[in-house]
Amino acid sequence: MLAVDGLEVAYGDLQVVWGISFEVPEDSIVAILGPNGAGKTTTLLALMGLLPVTGGTVTFGGDPLLGLQTHKVVERGVVMVPEERATFASLTVEENLELGAFTRRARSAVDETKSEVYEIFPFLAERPTQRAATLSGGERQMLAIGKALMARPRLLILDEPSLGLAPIVVENTFRVISTIREKGVAVLMVEQHVEKTLDLADHAYILEMGRIVADGPGSRLATDSRVRDAYLGL
Amino acid sequence: MSRLILQSAVSGLLVGGMYGLVALGLALAFGVLKVLNVAHGELLMLGGYAAFFAFTLWGLDPIVSIPLVFVGLSLFGVILYFTLFRHVTRLALGPRIKNSLLLSFGLVLVLQALAVRLFTGDERTISTAYSSDAITIGWLRVPVVRLAGLAVAVVAALLLEWVLTRTRFGLALRATSEDWTRAALTGVNVGWVYLTAFAISAGLAAVAGSLIGLGYSVSPSIGLGWTLKALIVVVLAGLGSMRGIIVAGLFLGLTESLAGVWLGGEYREIAALVLFLVVLSIRPEGFFGSAHA
Repeated sequence: MLAVDGLEVAYGDLQVVWGISFEVPEDSIVAILGPNGAGKTTTLLALMGLLPVTGGTVTFGGDPLLGLQTHKVVERGVVMVPEERATFASLTVEENLELGAFTRRARSAVDETKSEVYEIFPFLAERPTQRAATLSGGERQMLAIGKALMARPRLLILDEPSLGLAPIVVENTFRVISTIREKGVAVLMVEQHVEKTLDLADHAYILEMGRIVADGPGSRLATDSRVRDAYLGL
Repeated sequence: MSRLILQSAVSGLLVGGMYGLVALGLALAFGVLKVLNVAHGELLMLGGYAAFFAFTLWGLDPIVSIPLVFVGLSLFGVILYFTLFRHVTRLALGPRIKNSLLLSFGLVLVLQALAVRLFTGDERTISTAYSSDAITIGWLRVPVVRLAGLAVAVVAALLLEWVLTRTRFGLALRATSEDWTRAALTGVNVGWVYLTAFAISAGLAAVAGSLIGLGYSVSPSIGLGWTLKALIVVVLAGLGSMRGIIVAGLFLGLTESLAGVWLGGEYREIAALVLFLVVLSIRPEGFFGSAHA
């Protein structure tokens, strides 16, 4: 569904992503793993049209995605939850969700989508008027994902969804991600919890210094000696 | 003496309503675009002239021409956005504010010089049949044109607050003002939000200009003075609430006016600036602002 071919991204003269290629098939969970500064977040932001791309092509459902403004990318059904507290702190839970369904495509089905989101995150239904700023870190992350689902994504991009969360909340987050896939939404995620992620992902790519150095099904990478040495510390 | 104080208090509140109205547009542009438009007062000045000429050339009552002036200067705002401010909004927050200051200060000089050239430096006041009418309560005199100004300011603030809190567009504005990247990732067309917010800001400046031309006077050089007042009001109120901005405007007008009576006319401006410094040092987020806004 999403096909990235030879993507290059640079901040001015500083090139960060060096011709990477990967794909996200329908109904799959694909992960990008790698150390800090490898270019993971940069790659995601470039897909969303938030950073200028210097080379390569990206197609989504066969149509080119690069060069579109961010809100157009969202309109196409590619929705990203950025790193950490990606909600609007000054808005209420309800307003955050309403805002999530901002695109024309999502607006027409807002009530239906909202009940689906409430089904996944029941606590959101209980406190519609609470400001996002006063939610706990885990709740805010759930709201951020719920808000992204309100846009009715075909591909959900998650940037380190478990960052800064308590272990039990991390468990919950991973469970939610697999629920989302079951609902027919493909997931592309960047994560630090390597072992859990490999367990969940159908396919994973290892990104180092802006280049993909290994890839394969999650279960196979989990047993790959290089990956184990570098990331799992086993 | 108490009569003088009460009369001054009323005049102060009336002019304070104008401070608030001018500050509404400035706060909108600053809050949403993070652009500090010091040429806001020049847009006000142009709005004042627009209302003045609509009245003298076509006999259009300034209250009637308010919507036209609003639309006209909003369109001028659109042009300014595309030619100037759009380029600034591509920058990161810090350079964005600094560059918008430089850019809009240049705009101040251009618009002022242009106004002198086109309209001469004469002071103009829109003299309608009702201009000298006043409501008198005992010995207290309230000029109707200034009272109308205050009323429009309050209505504009409530309307803007309604848009911000009750409409989808307002939701997009608030989201963009909190974090434009996240707003874009949510599907908000941030460029469109910037354009519209800037146009409304310019239109509001022009509405204030009409009322100032009616209740006070316009000349090519009035802009910076009003911008300064509006800046003080925005600092007093913070960026949280539109109603708060009007309240802060009234407070500033009242402070100035009473300082004028108690300390002497030369202390009016000083009182305003002292108030500005005190609020900045004690409560930098303003009376009605929240820390993160």
